[in-house]
Amino acid sequence: MQDLVLQGIVNGLILGAIYGLIGVGLNVIFGVLRVVNFAHGEFLVLGAYLALMLAQYAGLSPFWALPITFLVFCLIGYLLYFVLIPRLSKSNDPETSSLLLMFGVSIMLGAIMLLLFDADARSLEYEIEPVFLMLGNIILPTIRLITLAISIVIVALVAWLLYGTLTGKALRAIIMNRDAVRIVGIKTERLAAVAFALGIGLAGVTGVLTAMVFPSFSPFMGNDYTLIGFVVIVLGGLGNPVGALVGALLYAVTEQVASVFFNPSIGTICGFVLMVATIFVRPNGLFGKQVMR
Amino acid sequence: MRRVQIAAGFFLLLIAGFLLLPLFTSNTSFAFYLMLWIIMASAMNICVGFTGYLPFGYVVFYGVGAYATGICYKVLGLPILPSLLIAGLAGVAFAMILAPTLRLKGVYFGIVSLALATIVRLIIANLPSDLTGGSMGLILASSNNPTLSYYSMALVLIVTLACVLWLSVSSLGKALKAIRDDDGAAACVGINVPRTRLKAWLLAAVFPALAGGIEAWHTNVVDPEYAFHVLVTAKSIVYAMAGGFGTILGPVVGAMALLGIDHLIWQKFPLINLLLLGLVIVLLMLFLPRGIVGGLLHRYPQLRRYIA
Repeated sequence: MQDLVLQGIVNGLILGAIYGLIGVGLNVIFGVLRVVNFAHGEFLVLGAYLALMLAQYAGLSPFWALPITFLVFCLIGYLLYFVLIPRLSKSNDPETSSLLLMFGVSIMLGAIMLLLFDADARSLEYEIEPVFLMLGNIILPTIRLITLAISIVIVALVAWLLYGTLTGKALRAIIMNRDAVRIVGIKTERLAAVAFALGIGLAGVTGVLTAMVFPSFSPFMGNDYTLIGFVVIVLGGLGNPVGALVGALLYAVTEQVASVFFNPSIGTICGFVLMVATIFVRPNGLFGKQVMR
Repeated sequence: MRRVQIAAGFFLLLIAGFLLLPLFTSNTSFAFYLMLWIIMASAMNICVGFTGYLPFGYVVFYGVGAYATGICYKVLGLPILPSLLIAGLAGVAFAMILAPTLRLKGVYFGIVSLALATIVRLIIANLPSDLTGGSMGLILASSNNPTLSYYSMALVLIVTLACVLWLSVSSLGKALKAIRDDDGAAACVGINVPRTRLKAWLLAAVFPALAGGIEAWHTNVVDPEYAFHVLVTAKSIVYAMAGGFGTILGPVVGAMALLGIDHLIWQKFPLINLLLLGLVIVLLMLFLPRGIVGGLLHRYPQLRRYIA
């Protein structure tokens, strides 16, 4: 009984780190651009497919695929920004428009993956010895520990980027107050493109990590990841990278502990109910501020 | 109110076409789904165009309607028409349950609505399978009556369009538009904001519930995958948006145009259908964010006298 709860908490913390990465990517994009990236999950799955391609055609292990995927997706994101986003700002309600626009992108990406890779579930191959570590009665799959470590490193790098560099300072300034940033002479367009690139790059890397932790991936899974990402950031507060991490840990622990006792779909229900309940108590999430307009 | 008369005339012609069609051809499948999507898009327009809320979990009403019909007919043994009425009531009851979410705004509302739809789908999937049919869904074969279900859908279409027309001239519709544009100002002039919003929300819920029930009747099956599929929400939004939110004719025109294109593409290239749906959304958002009718009105404001 106690072991079950502990196992659930440990699973939750590990998955929470990955959900946190999904949320941080979403929140960087939302915070800086006010764009609701509904295609985030599809970019995740696309990252997993890139790692699969790299393994099949170049013989690269998933670990090498991580930095390559990040760079490739940053580039894709940077270019995509100029295609998609600047026109949006002309709309009456940019936030809702961006939600719909990225929803279209998400359907397109899902369809493209379906055409390119077929509907079969795929998985990444890797070899790690030993497969499990035992801590008392708690099972710790080695790959999950490794992905946890990688997630922590990525979060640390993003934190350094946001809190330790001048670019990051400018990005955070945009999150706080766009208009004031323009007044002091920061070029928001270029920075917005950087933020979008960073968000998409993070989605790609997270995709490789999810493909390592979960047994398989398929073109249809993007929506599930997007939904988890949104539940996590709404729970933590839209636009706040720290909130995303806390929200992710809370959500994942709830989900995993409930899954241990019932079944995974009840776990998901509990996680979502937690989010909905939180929103009613704090309409802007745990760490959200009043929306500034 | 010439523009409302013009819209009403257009609707009458359309409905006459739908009613007469079965006399000339037995292949009414396309017309049936056209009616379904006009209903879905117009009801979505009541929610988005008149109140400004974008419910991303809209499919929940459709799915609840389908399941309510299936359970009443199959498990409780009621005749099909009372089952459909109960489906409509279930939609309204569900909208009442979800009404507290109307406190939320913008993206928060959209995401919470999507999460709630997912919760409902998962709960139904976890109910005992002698109630919901489990992953097989419910099969309503003994109720099969394509003609009657076709005309039931036509009846719901008539009520939906009448309701939209009524909203555009009634004080409720004007109050809703005032709230959408500035809820603070609307409250100042004495509009009861939460109550008015709730009315629109309930109206927007009852039609998809009825449509979901009739669709289940028409196809003889409640499909657990499809009844809560995010594409149902997506298509409702996209068809309404393609025509133009906040206009009366927009969702009807959008559903006719896009479903027509969809139908042609589906026949020729079934595989890239989804890709094109996505592409249409992206292109619309980038180049015609106000939709066909909305964009026309924006460019030629003088048309507002004739087109609602």
